[in-house]
Amino acid sequence: MPDTTKTVDGFRFMPPALRAWISKDIPDQSFGGHIPWTPLNKSLKETTFTLMTTAGISMKTDRPFDLEREKIEPAWGDPSYREIPQTATESDIKVSHLHINTEYIKRDINVMLPLTRFQEFEQEGIIGKLAATCYSYYGFQLDPTELLEETMPKVATRMREEDIEAVLLTPA
Amino acid sequence: MGQVAHYLEAQGFSTVILTNTPEFHRQVGIPRVAAIEYPYGRPVGQVNDRDGQRAVLLEALAVFEKAKEPGQIFNLPFIWPEEPKKADWHPPEISPIVKLHLDEIKRLGAEARKVKS
Repeated sequence: MPDTTKTVDGFRFMPPALRAWISKDIPDQSFGGHIPWTPLNKSLKETTFTLMTTAGISMKTDRPFDLEREKIEPAWGDPSYREIPQTATESDIKVSHLHINTEYIKRDINVMLPLTRFQEFEQEGIIGKLAATCYSYYGFQLDPTELLEETMPKVATRMREEDIEAVLLTPA
Repeated sequence: MGQVAHYLEAQGFSTVILTNTPEFHRQVGIPRVAAIEYPYGRPVGQVNDRDGQRAVLLEALAVFEKAKEPGQIFNLPFIWPEEPKKADWHPPEISPIVKLHLDEIKRLGAEARKVKS
């Protein structure tokens, strides 16, 4: 039975020590700065979507995310991105991530990048379209400069080529 | 991922983040948040649970229509069926950054336990 009064505790699954360490950088106050905003001025069934995850998924035919450098430089995370065709299945992908158990994604990509579910939504007319291309990058980015200034502009260009209007982002 | 959402919104794309850790919203200000209390690495649901995944995604999609201004958090009502200790979301090896800071993490954990008791 769903709990309609629930407030999500983002640290429920985390050991107390890790929770304390990560929480120390999160302010107590709500965010007071400017938040960019593009309203979605049409219904879901008219909208073209893509999916984007931070789970370090790559196609087996593509270069995997670089975990070896992170093992040597623990504050570094691979700032590049990979394209994942919406037709990708578990047997097509590699999952490179040092901060989560990747086994579940390898068994069912939809737990992280819900390609099949969005194909169903398109067929059922719940959404307009799932774009041919979805995206993955690597979520551990203590310094996101390269990700934001070099990688994301390339992603945005590719997204415009496929007339994307809305993105569901799924951090790992 | 909040900063990526900022970038995409500024570029003219509407975004929803389906996140297990909405607390980061206080740090970066996320445009649209669908918060879910599921283990890391499985925000959409359990392996091969088509109906459960669909229910979560339909709620996340609804946030595109429900959110009328930036920065609203929508808490999804779903409950993970396992106790946190059984969710087994951890990587097989401690991550390099945690390994590097392990002493500090252990100290903070001990302090947190002291405050609790």
